[in-house]
Amino acid sequence: MEAHSLLKKQGFDVSSYGTGTHVKLPGPSLREPNVYEFGTPYKHMFDDLRRKDPDLYKRNGILPMLKRNLSVKLAPQRWQDNAADGYFDIVFTFEEKVFDMVLEDLHNRDQVLLKSVLVINLEVKDNHEEAAVGARLALDLCEQIEAVESWEDSVDDILISFENKHRRKLLYSISFY
Amino acid sequence: MVGIMNPVSREKLASLSNSVKFATDLGPKLELCRQLKRDLLEEDAAALSEFLSHIFDLYSDPSGPVRKLATEIIGEIGVKHLEFVPEIAPFLITVLEDATPAVARQSISCSIDLFRHTLEKTAIQGLHSSELDSDLESSWSWMLKLKEKIYSIAFQPGSGGVKLVALKFVEAVILLYTPNPNGSSEPPPNEGTPIEFNISWLHGRHPFLNVGDLSIEASQRLVLLLDQLRFPTVKSLTTSVIVVLINSLSAIAKKRPAYYGRILPVLLSLDPPSFVIKEVHVYGANNALKNALLSCLQCSHPSAAPWRDRLLGALKDMEAGGLAEVALNQVHKVNGSVEDEKDHSSVIKEEKPMTKACDAAGSNVGRKRSGTEDSSGLAETGDVSGKRVRSTPSVSEESTKELNRNTSMSQGDISSAQSTTRKVDVDTGPVQQLVAMFGALVAQGEKAVGSLGILISSISADLLAEVVMANMRNLPPTHSHTDADDELLEDMCIVGSNTQAKYPPSFLVDVVSLSSTFPPIAALLNSQQSVPNEIVKTEVGEEVDVMAGPNSTVAYAGMAHEAENALLPGMEKIDVPTPSDIQDVGNLESGIPGLDSSFHYDGLSDAQAASSLVSTDLEDTSQEQGTSFGGKSPLHVLPSISIERSEELSPKAAVNDSSGVVSSTATSVVSSHPFVLPKMSAPVVNLSDDQKDDVQKLAYIRIIEAYKQIAVAGGSQVRSSLLAYLGVELPSELDLHKLLRDHILSDYINHEGHELTLRVLYRLFGEAEEESDFFSCTTAASAYETFLLAVAETLRDTFPPSDKSLSKLLGEAPCLPKSVLNLLECLCSPGISEKAEESQSGDRVTQGLSTVWSLILLRPPIRDVCLKIALQSAVHHLEEVRMKAIRLVANKLYPLPSISQQIEDFAREMLLSAVNIDAAEITDAEGLIIESHKQDSELEKPSHEHQSVSSTGKDISAIFHQSETSQSGSSPSVPEAQRCMSLYFALCTKKHSLFGQIFIVYSSASKAVKQAIHRHIPILVRTMGLSSDLLEIISDPPTGSENLLMQVLQTLTEGTVPSAELIFTIKKLFDSKLKDVEILVPVLPFLPGDEVLLLFPYLVNLPLDKFQAALTRLLQGSSQSGPVLSPAEVLIAIHGIDPERDGIPLKKVTDACNACFEQRHIFTQQILAKVLNQLVEQIPLPLLFMRTVLQAIGAFPGLVGFIMEILSRLVSKQIWKYPKLWVGFLKCAFLTKPQSFSVLLQLPPPQLENALNRTAALKAPLVAHASQENIRTSLPRSVLAVLGLSPESQPSSQVQTSQAHTGDTNNSEKDAVAEISKESSGAS
Repeated sequence: MEAHSLLKKQGFDVSSYGTGTHVKLPGPSLREPNVYEFGTPYKHMFDDLRRKDPDLYKRNGILPMLKRNLSVKLAPQRWQDNAADGYFDIVFTFEEKVFDMVLEDLHNRDQVLLKSVLVINLEVKDNHEEAAVGARLALDLCEQIEAVESWEDSVDDILISFENKHRRKLLYSISFY
Repeated sequence: MVGIMNPVSREKLASLSNSVKFATDLGPKLELCRQLKRDLLEEDAAALSEFLSHIFDLYSDPSGPVRKLATEIIGEIGVKHLEFVPEIAPFLITVLEDATPAVARQSISCSIDLFRHTLEKTAIQGLHSSELDSDLESSWSWMLKLKEKIYSIAFQPGSGGVKLVALKFVEAVILLYTPNPNGSSEPPPNEGTPIEFNISWLHGRHPFLNVGDLSIEASQRLVLLLDQLRFPTVKSLTTSVIVVLINSLSAIAKKRPAYYGRILPVLLSLDPPSFVIKEVHVYGANNALKNALLSCLQCSHPSAAPWRDRLLGALKDMEAGGLAEVALNQVHKVNGSVEDEKDHSSVIKEEKPMTKACDAAGSNVGRKRSGTEDSSGLAETGDVSGKRVRSTPSVSEESTKELNRNTSMSQGDISSAQSTTRKVDVDTGPVQQLVAMFGALVAQGEKAVGSLGILISSISADLLAEVVMANMRNLPPTHSHTDADDELLEDMCIVGSNTQAKYPPSFLVDVVSLSSTFPPIAALLNSQQSVPNEIVKTEVGEEVDVMAGPNSTVAYAGMAHEAENALLPGMEKIDVPTPSDIQDVGNLESGIPGLDSSFHYDGLSDAQAASSLVSTDLEDTSQEQGTSFGGKSPLHVLPSISIERSEELSPKAAVNDSSGVVSSTATSVVSSHPFVLPKMSAPVVNLSDDQKDDVQKLAYIRIIEAYKQIAVAGGSQVRSSLLAYLGVELPSELDLHKLLRDHILSDYINHEGHELTLRVLYRLFGEAEEESDFFSCTTAASAYETFLLAVAETLRDTFPPSDKSLSKLLGEAPCLPKSVLNLLECLCSPGISEKAEESQSGDRVTQGLSTVWSLILLRPPIRDVCLKIALQSAVHHLEEVRMKAIRLVANKLYPLPSISQQIEDFAREMLLSAVNIDAAEITDAEGLIIESHKQDSELEKPSHEHQSVSSTGKDISAIFHQSETSQSGSSPSVPEAQRCMSLYFALCTKKHSLFGQIFIVYSSASKAVKQAIHRHIPILVRTMGLSSDLLEIISDPPTGSENLLMQVLQTLTEGTVPSAELIFTIKKLFDSKLKDVEILVPVLPFLPGDEVLLLFPYLVNLPLDKFQAALTRLLQGSSQSGPVLSPAEVLIAIHGIDPERDGIPLKKVTDACNACFEQRHIFTQQILAKVLNQLVEQIPLPLLFMRTVLQAIGAFPGLVGFIMEILSRLVSKQIWKYPKLWVGFLKCAFLTKPQSFSVLLQLPPPQLENALNRTAALKAPLVAHASQENIRTSLPRSVLAVLGLSPESQPSSQVQTSQAHTGDTNNSEKDAVAEISKESSGAS
């Protein structure tokens, strides 16, 4: 969401998705996570958690995060259900597990358009600080890809130079819509 | 409408296309194009045919996006109206050459659609009629040309974006040209139904589309695709091309399983690191490959089955490259339950063994056994496993051979074993190295048993558990034969490590041969067409959630029997089972029993007596299997099941059979060493998530139950590691932690609760610290906290306070979260949160404090927090709690140099706060006295610490208290003051210099605080004793602290002889700073008499009560040296005081005299006489001499005679010369008449006259006395004359002179008399 927020500000046409089955937020204990359906408005979650234990969720950063999300979009969306959103040029993932899930999903779709899509994984630790760093990196990468006429021809070069510049390992794959 | 162009729309379209042509800005142009596209697609064919050229014109536009859009429009028109294909296809061919890659790509994209539709139409038309219309025929031929063109792009060397799509095109064509096994083989009845085209519709009935030719072409193209991935072509490709190739190929393999056998070898032999030149993107290709392999793994088609194991092997290899987690996830994902990461481990664990087995058997199929080695191996197996082995067919021989090879290695080939283990070393990590080490040792056979034992005993149980777990994960093989050997070696390691090397050397050999007994059975099963096997598997699988674990196992056992019996004859040699799937399944099963047998063995050797153990172990393993059923979907029932067979072997019968076998197998396991239950991999049952949860939960409960018995049997060290591992690894939603916790707490001691708890905690802690992601960290951390807190609370509530478990647990847990510290705090300071527990608080407090103590010692990072807890407790409002805490802090913690300063600061702060808060609040004295009484009783309590308290000390302090309370009317904050100060006092005993602070505070403190201080002092000072620090403090007390100093001195001198230093210090203090003689009082008995005499005036000057006290001390003296002064000396000293010279009011002196006279038992008649005797000799006579004489007569009338003597001596000393004494003399004479007459008569006549004049009342009796004959004669004349007894009254002149002589003193004499009489009246 951090990346979504940033890219959106920079004028990219961007969406963000989760790949799990539910939206899970840490709860008071291991056995009591807060589970929401995709599509539940962030506002609803925010109010719900604030009602449950404002201190806890303020302390662990969930409430501020939800507040940020509120300003980005209405509700969390699920990648696997995003067929209606049209096709994307680039998909960023921030965890290899998610990367695999996205690819898996793309491969399982009917590939009729044969429109190539670049899926890039940029490994980012799931905490607030790292998310900010990751978002900036994603923006940088987007701008570089945007700058070339056809990424299909130069993706390797772009990614290699990016890796060298930021000392980050990237993982990418190509799939088709 | 057909065929007639609507003029309006035509014009509109024309104008639109024109405006597109002439638009200059890209944005509006594109927008116009899109509009054009929308409009065009609504037109019919006839209209379009006219218009097509216009659109072709658009393509001449210089801007790429417009050309791209034009291509797109044309492509869509083509798809909609296939009749235009002959025109469109050449156009698309041109576009392929476009300079802009995006346009060329668009062309290919359109071509795919166009091709598919053309093919479909051609095919379907051909089905319905033998003749095709020529249009379609030419369309098709154009499409073929287009296809060839795109092929050339796809297979030309080099790369680029166009190639990617071209490759995709090839993939699409291949898919179109080959029959879809999952699709319908008949065309849809009516054409309108949207159904995926399937080439198998043709059935060879088509005029020119020949299915066979098409598939030949497809496979040629496939070969071309595959060739690209082959070395060295692959080196010239970019990563993106490789990725696309891999993806395409895996998609083909998945959708057309027939090609599995061709695609997978290429994929499996791909080694990304070796071919990607730009190293950085090895990951991309690697990842794509991994995903491709995983998606292949997912395929359920039968022809995919044989590859599954190699796929798993390859995936496992990739794990070594750091993708392990992801691979696990993937496998899991394949199996359809995404949410749950934890499942993976179990899934993969189950799947890995099967691969191993497969490889072992699969790669060796067809080999001949090699002579002697093998036969000896067979002999061995024969020894142990009895008759079963007789029927060993050669499929199993392969694995036997391998095992033999292992043993043979021990004889000659150690070096090769080492080389294989070195391979494992590459796997990284100490655990893997250990695994390898075990492998190497086991490979050496009996020789190495000793060193194996040493190795096992030298590594920690946790590490051993890791090794076992790691090994389970690593069971699957690599591809080569040596690797398979290697894996088996590792398998042996498990056995070795679990049993702690307890068994005889031959055991390992046994195990080797044992595991070889299973493949035969499995193979037998398989050779029975694998059909009954499958059926039973499914049946049993379905029952897994209902039935207990062992049942399922045994069911297989039963099956095994059956199969064996049925197939004993004629099964001599099945070298290569014909259908590859059978081989596969068989291998699966042969693998797992091998593993299981080691488990049973473990149990057996561990506890020979505990037969139940075997069954529990059995349960464990089978439970584990049960849990994995759900996850293991890929194994589907083979398609070749024959129905008759399944009927023949009805599930019911199978189950019954198995239950019959249960007992026999179970007992035989117990009784006979080598007989082990065979077990095979379970079939696939798709369970719902809930069911899976239940199964896992039940399994875990069983495992836990089993551990209760293990505890009885002993040797649970390693096991508890495993249990903890399992408890944490399994999905958290199941709340297994709670189960584990309950198990631990149900019998903490017998279940090795401490060790187990720690293991769980360390696992959880590790997970929380791993920083994998926000969510799991948070949850793991909270799980950790919950677990620790629950255990700690239970330990607190259920164990006696004297138990050390809690302390041990907290001391060794990886970290202590805040809640646990809170628990500790409540323990140490009862009443902070709950009041209910105060009844038992005493011992609990001790427990809490000792825990805190050990934590402070053991855990430096949280030392401050713990110290704070202890300190809080040290100022607790309950005396009992406080004293315990103070003892801890002062005796144990304060001596630690690292924290002493902190303690000191805290204590000082509290001390000062006591002084500050206590703003003199005064309440009624009534309550106070009660308060103080209470405190008196409380005061006794702390004293048990200081055994040396003498009873007198207590009395005195009690008295002191009383006086303090009565005089001060102190405030209710005395207990509060005490609460705050106790700690500081305790510290004073450890560090005497701190005591000074009390002196400083004292002066400004309120009465309550002073009172509290005074209460403490006796104990405190006695404990401290006299130290140089104390002396220093005494030598310079701050002003205002005199009372305190007095008490200190008193305490110091009580019952003991003060040291010379102390006396010196006090004297010095008295001389220099503090002129108050009072401070000397305590040491008076120890001063030399002459010094005391010097001090005497000061003593007399004290308030009467204090003087009396001092007097007592002086007269009593010390026990050693006796009285410092005798009573006589005291009196004489008093008389020696000169009020004027010494500046002491006369009143003080007379009071002092009086005080002496009050103590008649001390100041007796004799002493008085002695004193008077001495005093009378003094020159000048003491001022108070006559007064004392008078008092003496008053006190002891018997002294009259003696007094007369004194008086007569006074006469001889011319007493009349001392006017003041003279008055006293006369008074005395008057009081002692008639005895004093003789003395009076001794006076010279002038003085006599003076006396008579002064005391007229004397005259008459004196005259009467003198008139007596005998006296009168003895009197001189002059006297008689004074008395008026002389006949001649001549000496008037004499009288005159004497009158004159005495006249000048008259006034003062009168004064003196008045004074004396006043005083004597006061004294009497």
